[in-house]
Amino acid sequence: MSEGLLTGQNLSLSDALSMGGETTVIGLAIVFSVLVVLMIVLYLFKVIFYKDPNKKKTADTKQEPAPTIEAAPAVTEETDEEELIAVLTAAVAASLNTSTYNLRIKSYRRTDNKMPAWNRAGVTETINNRF
Amino acid sequence: MLESFLNFLQNTGFYALISNGGTWLSSGSEAIKTIIMLAIACVLLYLAIVKKFEPLLLLPIAFGMLLTNLPMIKDSSAIMMHTEWFTDSQYFIDGHSIDVGMICREGGLLDLLYLGVKLGIYPPLIFVGIGCMTDFGPLIANPKSILLGAAAQFGVFFTFVGALVLSALIPSISFGVKEAASIGIIGGADGPTAIYVTKSLAPSLLPAIAVAAYSYMALIPVIQPPIMKLMTRKKDRMIVMEQLRPVSKTEKILFPIIVTIVVALIIPDAVSLVGCLMLGNLLKESGVADRLAKMAQNELMNIVTLFLGVTVGATATATSFLSAQTIGIIVLGLIAFCFSTAGGLFLGDIMCWLTKGKVNPLIGSAGVSAVPMAARVSQTVGQKENPSNFLLMHAMGPNVAGVIGSAVAAGVFLSMFSNI
Repeated sequence: MSEGLLTGQNLSLSDALSMGGETTVIGLAIVFSVLVVLMIVLYLFKVIFYKDPNKKKTADTKQEPAPTIEAAPAVTEETDEEELIAVLTAAVAASLNTSTYNLRIKSYRRTDNKMPAWNRAGVTETINNRF
Repeated sequence: MLESFLNFLQNTGFYALISNGGTWLSSGSEAIKTIIMLAIACVLLYLAIVKKFEPLLLLPIAFGMLLTNLPMIKDSSAIMMHTEWFTDSQYFIDGHSIDVGMICREGGLLDLLYLGVKLGIYPPLIFVGIGCMTDFGPLIANPKSILLGAAAQFGVFFTFVGALVLSALIPSISFGVKEAASIGIIGGADGPTAIYVTKSLAPSLLPAIAVAAYSYMALIPVIQPPIMKLMTRKKDRMIVMEQLRPVSKTEKILFPIIVTIVVALIIPDAVSLVGCLMLGNLLKESGVADRLAKMAQNELMNIVTLFLGVTVGATATATSFLSAQTIGIIVLGLIAFCFSTAGGLFLGDIMCWLTKGKVNPLIGSAGVSAVPMAARVSQTVGQKENPSNFLLMHAMGPNVAGVIGSAVAAGVFLSMFSNI
């Protein structure tokens, strides 16, 4: 390496650019290669450890017909996620002051975010305080 | 009686300030330089206390600067920091390594504490604490976001070129490759990493680089948003991303172990930083070492931060700080931050285009590693366009990847330049 590159004195522009360009290419290549390897590892993680709940078929959970209440009106998709339905049933039961035995969730649908402004402000504030 | 009173007078700071025989005061202009340095320290204290610029670091740095620039008689036993012992080769053993023995025997408090910086102890210890506070979950759930952390290192290398070019063009500034690398790493937006590289490659620039790095990190919410708006389309900024998949505990435990091994295999010079980061993370995620994890992210980190801040500030003597180079570093540091942000956003745009609008390009800017500020900026800018959009967790992926990325970039510089 030339004296100019080491000390920075009497450094010529062409030296500066060629050294800089070389280092940039090598450096970015190494940084990307490390992180690409890690990315591949993480994709393997997904394959090995993660089971998509939507693909898991569970036995359908028909209950005795009772006064039917729908959490959301329209039927969109029939994903049978036991846990989510249990939570929805419990939430509806709690708000109606009745037992979960009297309810049957026929369908549910994710709605657009219609959170009232106050709630949204609250969530944003909490996030900003935590981080 | 009179004699001892005169002796006392000759030991005061006032005497040191006006006398010609004082350490820093061989000429009249030295006294002015001392006063300027004290004024700069006070300005930094003001920024830390009133403007709250990273006060946990800037306050100790500024006070260290104050302590080291107090007027003292030459060879006074009250001098807390002898910067020349660490930078001037006439004090070195055989001209190239610092004389630890002499520093231990004769050094002041800050000399002793500065050994922790010089020997590369503090930055990795801080990384243990940062590791304990980091959740790699969002990164594991969305592996491609790790590339944004790599793209955001573009500013580091761009500034490396910039520093060399500046030194070729302006005669009063002379940055060699080592100095250029230390300045470039400011763009990693990671204080401990910048200090770790600088103390090895260009110790005389340490105070300027530390002050620039930490000040710009505090200014991220000001620096980033205009670049983010410039480099993304409004339509893309409004993209709501898919919810992240849940990540199991096994994955979170395996991740730090695998990262350490992969990094060691490719770039061993980055292991002291990345390894410590992952050690901290494993302490937390394993769940079996809660006491250690709590200690590392609270007491250990706080103690080390104090030592690091005060001693880095104390290296800022008038001769090293009051120069055209410092101005060059401040300007280049800003360039580094801007181009790192731009690099992340550029890849974010490409990902947005490749996935046909599933990736919001705003998370790209979070690839600079200032955790969690950069992710928060992505969240805030995204929410301005679409108030019901929550990008924070999506931005945390690139954000923590940026920490790994800048540590790797630091390893690249160290392996290329530390032995020349």
